[in-house]
Amino acid sequence: MRVLVIEDEVRLSENIAAALREGAGFAVDCALDGETGWQLARNPSSLGTPGQASCPFSCYDLIVLDLMLPGLDGLAVLKRVRATRDRTPVLILTARSERKSVIELLNAGADDYLTKPFDLGELIARAKALIRRGKGGADPTLRLNEIELNTLEQTVQRDGRYVDLSPMEYRILEYLMHRPRVIVSKRELLEHLYDYNWEHHSNVIEAHVSNLRKKLDADSAQSSIETLRGRGYRLSLSQTAVEASAPR
Amino acid sequence: MKQISIKRRLIASVLLVELVSAVCITGLAYVYERHAHLKSFDILLRGRADSLLGAVQDAEDTGDNVMLDGSQNSLPERDLFEVWDARDRVLARSPNWDGLDSSKHVPDKPQVLTVRGREYRAIRLDGVRIVDPGDKGGGIPRHVTILYGAPLRPMQDAVQGAVVFYALTSLGLLLITGIVMFLLLRSGLAPLSDLAAEAAGISVTSWNFTPSQQVRRTVELAPLASALSTALKGLERSFAQQNQFIGDAAHELKTAVAVVKSSLQLLTMRPRTTSEYEAGLERCQLDCERVEETVARMLTLARLESESPGAAAAEHRFATSLAVTAREIAAQFESITEVRRIAIEVSVADAVTADIDPDQLQLLCSNLVLNSIQHSHPGGVVRISARIIRSHAELRVSDTGEGIDPEMLPHAFDRFYRGDPSRSRKTGGTGLGLAISKAIALQFQGTIEIESQLGTGTTVIVRLPIERSSKPFSLA
Repeated sequence: MRVLVIEDEVRLSENIAAALREGAGFAVDCALDGETGWQLARNPSSLGTPGQASCPFSCYDLIVLDLMLPGLDGLAVLKRVRATRDRTPVLILTARSERKSVIELLNAGADDYLTKPFDLGELIARAKALIRRGKGGADPTLRLNEIELNTLEQTVQRDGRYVDLSPMEYRILEYLMHRPRVIVSKRELLEHLYDYNWEHHSNVIEAHVSNLRKKLDADSAQSSIETLRGRGYRLSLSQTAVEASAPR
Repeated sequence: MKQISIKRRLIASVLLVELVSAVCITGLAYVYERHAHLKSFDILLRGRADSLLGAVQDAEDTGDNVMLDGSQNSLPERDLFEVWDARDRVLARSPNWDGLDSSKHVPDKPQVLTVRGREYRAIRLDGVRIVDPGDKGGGIPRHVTILYGAPLRPMQDAVQGAVVFYALTSLGLLLITGIVMFLLLRSGLAPLSDLAAEAAGISVTSWNFTPSQQVRRTVELAPLASALSTALKGLERSFAQQNQFIGDAAHELKTAVAVVKSSLQLLTMRPRTTSEYEAGLERCQLDCERVEETVARMLTLARLESESPGAAAAEHRFATSLAVTAREIAAQFESITEVRRIAIEVSVADAVTADIDPDQLQLLCSNLVLNSIQHSHPGGVVRISARIIRSHAELRVSDTGEGIDPEMLPHAFDRFYRGDPSRSRKTGGTGLGLAISKAIALQFQGTIEIESQLGTGTTVIVRLPIERSSKPFSLA
C-alpha cells in the first residue's frame, strides 16, 4: 500500500512516514506543503524521476492530510482531490477539534480525522481500516481460497500453516488479496508498493513475485499466483468459491 | 439588589406632587369658601336684625315704651334673637332663647353661641328706632339693642360640600394623570427599553449590537448607542484577535507536542539497537527544546502585547548604543553562522543611540538577526547597520536569502506566520520572531517595516526615537 503524507511540520512528517513504513509496511511519500501534496496526489511522478502516470486515479491508497498548511490549506487540497472524482481515502490531521470544522471536513469528503497530538498506533490502525474500507473490505484478516492474511500482525497462512514472507513479498500479496479476480499489472504494483522513486525498483518485482509464489506453493500442488504474460498477475481462482472478504 | 423602575418612579413622583397640590388646593378652597360664606352669613344676620329693628313699635302706653310687633315677624324659626331697650327691658325673645347671657356681647362683632349643643353665630345690633316719624318734632328716637343669631350648620354644610367637590375633582384628576402618564411614559421610554433589550442580547458569543432607528434618533440615547457600538466593535475585534491567537497557539503547541509524542512512540514501536535509541532520544530532546522555545516566545509576546503600544514607562530614559548591541548579537550568533557559513557584517557608528531598554533592544535585534540567518543560504551575508535620521535611529537588518513572496509580505509581522513554512520549520523558526520585534518597536514609540525581493533578500527597518516624547503615543 502507498500512502501520501501532506504535513508541513517536518519532524512530524518524518515520524508519521516512519511509523507507517515500520508499523504497516506501507510505502510513504511526503509533501511539506499543500501545493506539492496536490501535485503528488494528482501525479506521483511529478516528484522524482519524470515518467508518465499510469493510474487512472491516484496511485495512493490513502492520503494523510494536515489541515493547517502554508499556501494551499488542507481543506482546499481535499476539495481539489474530491473534485477530480478521486476516491482515495483521506485521513485528516488537525490541531483543532471544534465540531464545526470536523463537520465541514467530513462533508468536504474526508473519511476520518485525528486531532493532534495523536497516538501513532491509532494513526496506523485508522490508516489500515481506511485502506481496508477503500478496497471494499471490513475484516482486517483477508481470506482467499486457502490463503489467510492478517493485516494486523502482518502474517500469512496457507492451509493453516504460517508462511514466512519478506516485507516486500507480504506487501505484494496483501495488495493482490485486496484485489481478487483482478489482473494487477506490474506497473500498478510498483506504483502502490513503492514510494516515488519506484522506477529504480522496476526489475525487482518479478523476482519478488517469483519468491512469493515459491514460498506460498511450497507444500501445495495448486499454484497461487497466475502470471498473465504482458498483462500482470492474478490470484488463482481455480477451485473453491471466493470467500466473503472478496468484494467483487 | 432591589430593582427600581424609572417609569414607576416618574409616575409616583408626578402623582405625589399632584397629591400635594390637591391637598393645598382643597385647604385653600376651604379657607376661602368659609371666609366668603361667613361674610354673606353676617350680611344675612345683619339684614335679619335690621328687619327685627323695623318691627319695633311704640307700645302706645303711658310709659312711652316700645314693643315688638310680632305680627310682622317673618324670620326663620330656627334663629335666635333677643331685643331689649335702653332700660334693659327685654322687648322680645325668640321662642328658643334659652336664658343666654347677652350682656357680654360687643356690638357689631359676630360671636359664636352654643344653645342646646347647636352652634349659632350671632351679632349685636345697637339701633335707634324712630317711632311715629309723622308726629311733630320728627318722632321720638328709641334706643334698642338686638342680639340676633342663626345656626351655623347650613353654612358649614355648604363649605363642606364645596371642599368635598374640590377634593373629589382633584382625586379624579390624579387618576387620569396616572393613566395618561403611564401611557405617555411607555411610549416615551420605548427607545430606552429598545436599547436595553438590544444591549441585553450582547454576549461573548454574540457581539451583534444594532440599535433601532428610534434609538439613534433619540437625542439623549444616540451618544450612548454610538459609544456602545464603537466599544463593542473594538471588543469584538480584540476578542477575535485573542481567539485567533489562542487558536494559533493551540495549533502550534499541539503540533509541537505531537512531534515529541510521535518521536517517542516511534522509538518504542519495536525493539531497537542502542545507537538507534540514542539517536532517537537525541531527536526527542531537540523536539522538546523546540516546544520550550515556542512556549517562551509565546509568553514574551503575550507580555509585550498585554501593554499598549508606546506604554513603556516614560520616566526611564535610555541612551542605548546600537553599536554595542549589534556587536553583542553578532558575537552571540557566531557559532551558528560559522556552521552555516553565513557572514555577519556590523556597520554601526558608536554615536547611534536610541531611547530603548537595552534588554529589549537586544531581544528585538536578536530576533531580527536570527530570522535573517534562518532565511539565508550558506555563503550568504547578514548585515546590521544603523544611522541617525533626524530624531530617529534607523536600524537595518538585511539578508541575502530567498526573500519573501510579495503576497505574503503584508503578513510578515503576523503571529505564527511563516513566509516559507517548510523552510523555517526546518530551520527551527517559531513564526513569532517578527511579531515580537514589532511589539517591542511599538512599545518604545518606534516603527518597523519589511522590504523584500524574491531571490535577492529581505531587509527589516526599525526606526526608534533618540528621545521618546513624554506624551502618550497614539497609533495614528
